[in-house]
Amino acid sequence: MHSSHRRRTASVQTSQARLGILLLLPAMLLLAGLTLYPVLYGVWLSLHHKHSFFPQQSWAGLENYWFLLADPEFSESVWRGVVYSVSTITLQIIIGVGAALALNQYFPGRSLVRGIVLFPYVIPTVVAVILWKWLLNNQFGLINYGMVMLGLTDEPINWMGRTYIMTSLILISVWQFFPFVVLAVLARLQTIPTELYEAARVDGAGPLSRFLYVTLPQLASVLFIVVLLRTIWMFTKFDTVWLMTQGGGAEKYIRTLPVYAYLRAFHYYEAGTGAAASVVMFLLLVVFAAVYFMMFRREEQL
Amino acid sequence: MNRRSAFFLQRFSLALAIIALLLFTAFPFAWMAATAFKPSQEVFYWPPRFFPEQATLSNIARLFEETRFLDYFRNSVVVASATVLLTLALATPGAYSLTRFRFRGRETLAATILFTYMFAPIMIIIPFYVMVRYFGIANTHLALVLGYTAFSMPFALWMLRTFFQSIPLDLEEAALTDGADRGRAVLYVVLPMALPGIIATGIFTFILAWNDYIFVRILITSDELKTLPIGIADLYNSSVIDWGMIMASGMLVIVPVVIVFSFIQKFLVAGWGGGGVKG
Repeated sequence: MHSSHRRRTASVQTSQARLGILLLLPAMLLLAGLTLYPVLYGVWLSLHHKHSFFPQQSWAGLENYWFLLADPEFSESVWRGVVYSVSTITLQIIIGVGAALALNQYFPGRSLVRGIVLFPYVIPTVVAVILWKWLLNNQFGLINYGMVMLGLTDEPINWMGRTYIMTSLILISVWQFFPFVVLAVLARLQTIPTELYEAARVDGAGPLSRFLYVTLPQLASVLFIVVLLRTIWMFTKFDTVWLMTQGGGAEKYIRTLPVYAYLRAFHYYEAGTGAAASVVMFLLLVVFAAVYFMMFRREEQL
Repeated sequence: MNRRSAFFLQRFSLALAIIALLLFTAFPFAWMAATAFKPSQEVFYWPPRFFPEQATLSNIARLFEETRFLDYFRNSVVVASATVLLTLALATPGAYSLTRFRFRGRETLAATILFTYMFAPIMIIIPFYVMVRYFGIANTHLALVLGYTAFSMPFALWMLRTFFQSIPLDLEEAALTDGADRGRAVLYVVLPMALPGIIATGIFTFILAWNDYIFVRILITSDELKTLPIGIADLYNSSVIDWGMIMASGMLVIVPVVIVFSFIQKFLVAGWGGGGVKG
């Protein structure tokens, strides 16, 4: 069966390698020119003093990197990014897995509910942010109204103030991105053989132990990928964080690393320092990915 | 506890979970829509009321008359459509090639494509901006389209590759042995079968370009060239925040997303497999 398949593919996958390369070439040129080259150019920029607008530039060596190390705002932004990533990812996983388990059960209107739950993930970030800024508004916001009514707080909470702005940002981000976890986990749940559950039931396992000993091990592989991707995307998240900093509020307290890089490049016009900050961001992710793979690597992955 | 009541308890907690989930995800949208139809004084009612007493279209009217919302909308449509066309024009032959031809380095290339996921927009945009200025195309829709196409290319290739892989080679071969040349075999046999995948990939690309904020923020400075996400963010940044109008704008921006999203819901799982959903 396998060899006959080989032979068949060989006739379509003829020796027309040249045609194959030709078909792929435009896409590859675009990727090389507009993704790979900018990344390498970014590394080059990080080694130069370069104004973001004007063409002058001069060799800086590692000066931009020394500047970052000496700048307390830089280390604070890294730390904030870690806090932001860890807390949002933890909550996304908990809510996302819970939601996926519920949406995997049969109930009337299930596919509509699935669509609605996934929806926050596909809307523009700016809509997610203005929507929640309105809900969290300290004078007229519905959340404050509800919390006062329920007696959870005596006075309306200033959600954009210094104490709560990070909490608000985390809430919005979890709302916006947990559907990604739902999507991935739901896809995996649908492929778990039902015999496994029947066997566990015969062995007298209750719902909790069925979850712990049947479902969870089966989800391990998808959660491995999800945590990796979400870490990359949350640690480098710019738009949600940046839009939260707009229009007043204690924006200083949610400046994460990507926002720091942006400010360096487009407010201080130091393209070199901004590029250096994003190179550091990339290196931190590479280190994370390496450690992560060493710790959790599984045979069935990738 | 007997079996019956255990079953009842299970269904009851499921219902609670679903209600909580819907409240969390859908209610903010409902509140946005409700606010969008309220006249100004009702927006600030205290205690707040859910339904508008006198529903009005005045927020939408002001959005059209006093802001450039319609210009932004047109720009968004132009930029997102051009991105979809360019991405599909480049990625479809590319993905076909990745599944149907053997050449050295093919698998390495496929792996490299996946690796570009590590490059965040903020990492690409700073050098990209300097490059775009160098070529004199800063503040043009062309720069935006190129940026989005490059950014969606990895997932488009990856997702289309998955779809092409699922099309059996036999059909193509049958066409070839029947004397059709390769071009006709692709045009009449492969493409029709790959069409759902191509459409799904196109929709993911559309949503990405439609939703983007960072590329426009950095690449576009002229007001008349801005797309919707920036236009809305600017409404919010103005000195007096007109919540009714802002909620109306948010509601209108997501209408196209709702429409295309309802088409691809069934492809979302495949999209996940192909890494089509990014962000």
